[in-house]
Amino acid sequence: MRTDEDIKSLHPLEVTVLRRYDASDVLSAAVLQGDLGLNVGQSNQALSWLAARDSLQEHNRRIITRYELTELGRDYAEHGTPEERVQDAAREHGPLPLPRIAELTGLPNKDVGSAFGKLSKLGVLGMDGEKQVSYAAADGASAAQADIDMVRALLRRAASAPQGLLEENELGDAERRLIGEISKKRGSSGAAFRVVESEIVEYTLTEQGMALRTAVEAAGLSGEEVGALTPAMLREGSWKGKNFRSYSIQVPPSRLLIGRRNPYCSYLDQVKDKLVSLGFEEFDGPLVETEFWNSDALFMPQFHSARDIHDVYYVADPTHAQEIREPFLSRVAATHENGWDTGSSGWDYSFDRDFTRRLILRSQGTVMSAKTLHQAKVPGKYFGILRCFRYDQVDATHLSDFYQTEGIVLGEDVNLRTLMGMLEMFAVELAGATDVKCVPGYFPFTEPSVEIHIKHPELGWFELGGAGIFRPEVTEPMGVSVPVLAWGLGIDRMALMHLGLNDLRELFSPNIENVRLRTGKQAG
Amino acid sequence: MPKIELQQDELFKYSGRSFGADELEEALTIAKAEIDDPVDEDGLIKIELNDTNRPDLWSTAGLGRALRLYHGTGGSATYGFFSRPDSPVAVGDRRIVVDAELAERRPYIAAFAISGPPIAEVLLDDLIQTQEKLCWNYGRKRKAIAMGVYREDKIQYPVRYRAVDPDSTTFVPLGLDNELSLRQIIEQHPKGREFGGIVAALDKFPFLSDDSGAVLSFPPVINSADVGAVQAGDTRLFIEMTGTDLKPLLLACSIVACDLADAGYTIHPVQVEYPYDTPFGRTIVSPLYFQKPVGVELAYAERLLGVALNEDEAVQRLGKMGVRAEAASGLITAYPPEYRNDFLHPVDVVEDLMIGYGMNSFPSEPPRDFTVGRLTEAEIFSREVKTLLVGMGYQEMIFNYLGSRRDFIDNMYPQEQRTAAAAACVRIANPMSENFEFVRPSIIPQLLGAESVSAHAVYPHYIFEVGKVALRDADDNYGSRTVTALGAVVADAEAGFNLVSSQAAALFFYLGLEYDPSVVEDPRFMAGRVAALLVKGERVGILGELHPQVLENWGVTVPCAVIELDLDHVRRVNGSD
Repeated sequence: MRTDEDIKSLHPLEVTVLRRYDASDVLSAAVLQGDLGLNVGQSNQALSWLAARDSLQEHNRRIITRYELTELGRDYAEHGTPEERVQDAAREHGPLPLPRIAELTGLPNKDVGSAFGKLSKLGVLGMDGEKQVSYAAADGASAAQADIDMVRALLRRAASAPQGLLEENELGDAERRLIGEISKKRGSSGAAFRVVESEIVEYTLTEQGMALRTAVEAAGLSGEEVGALTPAMLREGSWKGKNFRSYSIQVPPSRLLIGRRNPYCSYLDQVKDKLVSLGFEEFDGPLVETEFWNSDALFMPQFHSARDIHDVYYVADPTHAQEIREPFLSRVAATHENGWDTGSSGWDYSFDRDFTRRLILRSQGTVMSAKTLHQAKVPGKYFGILRCFRYDQVDATHLSDFYQTEGIVLGEDVNLRTLMGMLEMFAVELAGATDVKCVPGYFPFTEPSVEIHIKHPELGWFELGGAGIFRPEVTEPMGVSVPVLAWGLGIDRMALMHLGLNDLRELFSPNIENVRLRTGKQAG
Repeated sequence: MPKIELQQDELFKYSGRSFGADELEEALTIAKAEIDDPVDEDGLIKIELNDTNRPDLWSTAGLGRALRLYHGTGGSATYGFFSRPDSPVAVGDRRIVVDAELAERRPYIAAFAISGPPIAEVLLDDLIQTQEKLCWNYGRKRKAIAMGVYREDKIQYPVRYRAVDPDSTTFVPLGLDNELSLRQIIEQHPKGREFGGIVAALDKFPFLSDDSGAVLSFPPVINSADVGAVQAGDTRLFIEMTGTDLKPLLLACSIVACDLADAGYTIHPVQVEYPYDTPFGRTIVSPLYFQKPVGVELAYAERLLGVALNEDEAVQRLGKMGVRAEAASGLITAYPPEYRNDFLHPVDVVEDLMIGYGMNSFPSEPPRDFTVGRLTEAEIFSREVKTLLVGMGYQEMIFNYLGSRRDFIDNMYPQEQRTAAAAACVRIANPMSENFEFVRPSIIPQLLGAESVSAHAVYPHYIFEVGKVALRDADDNYGSRTVTALGAVVADAEAGFNLVSSQAAALFFYLGLEYDPSVVEDPRFMAGRVAALLVKGERVGILGELHPQVLENWGVTVPCAVIELDLDHVRRVNGSD
């Protein structure tokens, strides 16, 4: 038995009942109402709760009959029954015709008629040849008078009883006969009483109940404990000296729908915050871009298969930007054609100045690195988490639009070693990597280029990203003469792991319930 | 990025050594190559090559050569058959005469012949794969480079490269046994349908035949079924390439020649005679070594690599990369190998130095420069807005930016307004599917999309997103603007104008902004239950109860009230005083 637990969950009503009764007592709703001043609902609740705890056992069960005063009955109790009123009218004002009696008593003709019929049968009233009714104190008159008086007494008793109820077992034989004549089992119209039959269940305390009783006494619970602390109690100070009921703290709480960040967005914010903490300044730009910034400024030749990697979405209207900013256009065009002043041989072809204005949806975040160069500080560090678009069939590992995390570092002294140092910093700070390895890589816009592979504590070895030193053909047309480290990180794989997902499409789920239930792993 | 499939044993033969699986993975990093599929029971291995500027690595021989040189497990890679622009080697009667009419059509051709032992099946397969990769990835799907291989026994030099009438010229193409005109070939033959587009617009098509009139091929489409049908067991082959850009063409020719030389064949150069000028004159003997040496200041390499370099060691390390070099007075002069032309800038030699030294030669160090990190103003403001929305009980959502016409236009607007609504959107000219044809002009449609699939989620739904939308703007250089927007939807039996109106009031209050609601007509909303939101007289957003027709279009059966704000505009007008 877990009585200690149980008593915490006892309602004050239960406590009150337990404290009042002993193993020898027989409990019922009526008993509780009588002894403890509870109302019907309270007494029934207390009994059913205690029974549900196996603290009470059924002792006896029986049907009792009661008579409940109807609205009509209340009227009779106040003004008298029709018989009483007709008899009084005839005795005091008779002889009278029936319609006149109806007038005097205010009763409907029908009721006057049936009352007269009943009383004339008993010989209390008589009618002459002129249909005048008069009081005839015949032999039966006194007996009839006694009945009338008894009915009247019953009506008045009922009228002053709680809920207008009379218990059948509290009535004498004559009373039972008379009340039966003016009662109906169903409905209340036309009868002074309604017959109510109800089941009385009696209980006695079980061993469990007695144990609870002992525990309640030991705990000093009185049943007077207060449920809610109310503002009134605080205003009035009436909380003082009151005991407050302990709650059942194990009951499952109800669900609360709260306002909440999306865990994927929070994850992206964490990455942004981390990069900011490492000294990176955020950049951002439009979703619609030109071939110029998306690829040409990155020294990707207009004809080259390197552009196959970035199969792009073309904007339908307008198809071309109005202009590309100078001097960047001319410098980039010259760099493609012959290397311009960069020391490069260039790609040795005729740069298409119309194609370069072609509008597309940004296909790589590096576009913003390129656009930032001409206004970048030295030393300077920049990053962006940018939505990019790819001409891909959407599936678990490909999306038509997705985020890329990219950035640049400008500095007189940055080089391959600081590039790798930075990548290792990312690996540890962003991915919690336990091991890092750089291998030669290829990107059209960096030379040298490396890929960074990391050993993630949960995912094992995978490619975290790529990086390199921007080619002079990329930086010099933008007026930048210091080395520029360029890097890109694939964070979606870590985001999926963080969110316990394995399908990229889920990152952008429209399913509200899924999003509500989704939690990211907490740091630490 | 090309992927090649090769016999691992053949690779090891060219490498001069074998590698364990992990060793190979590691060894391939010097070629920026990765194992795509490990070796199978037939000895085939699939390898992905990441460097699109190194087509010399896209073959068994080429990849094996890189490993051999790096590990010093075989002879050096020197090839005696190359001509220089100013010193051609002797060719005997191996000549190609080019017709003047090709100048404006497909002007260049390069070729050589080989002789040696009967060609094995595996080498033939490899040659075909090299042809495919070179012509597809490097030769832009045969547009820039197309390659043909023929039985030299059947050729009478000189070979003639001409432009011919596509309708009257006929031959039997490979794979068929009847003659077709060139026009019929591009219309009917599978290869014709695939590659015919390259020449279809020309009045005359490129055509290759020998001195006797025997047809070699119809470049860049298809070989003849006779001279152009090469088989295992052949001992003499003629290999030519045609194209539009001379240098890539010559490079591809050199790559294939070096591969076949490594395979044990003798290379016989061919002289091409043009009636017009080319970057290397009117007579070119191929394979041609045309690459120029690249000078790299040692100090420049040191600056980029972050370590001090020794001249002699640098030269030796470049040698591991197949790059002959000399060093004197702090200047390294690097001579690109015949099969490479990826040294556009000294920086490209620096990368070969990096790989030649190995990554372990460059201990990492953290960047030392101090810089101040910061978020964009738009991001900071967005976060403020998100915090307030979350405080109002909203769940943040995040959606893809691409969607369908149905989502963004048809479901939101009545028929007569759809054309105008679509015209305000950024549309994709080449969508992958109609599901991703438009960039979203508003966040509301996707929030309703979420509602349409979330009727099972306990109500009320308070959902929002702060993200980008794109709007057409004729005044903008790009014809559109990208805007940071807030979209919020309440879906609930109790959702209504008053609720979102109170929320907007709270939002503006805590953002420290005054705003005025103003009467507006918008068919997406119920008339009289929608307000434009003005800050300093400029419209920055809208709120109200969505029209039941819109909800019905989306299959949403719960009333929805929404707020949408252009956060960039809010920031702009707020900062304007």
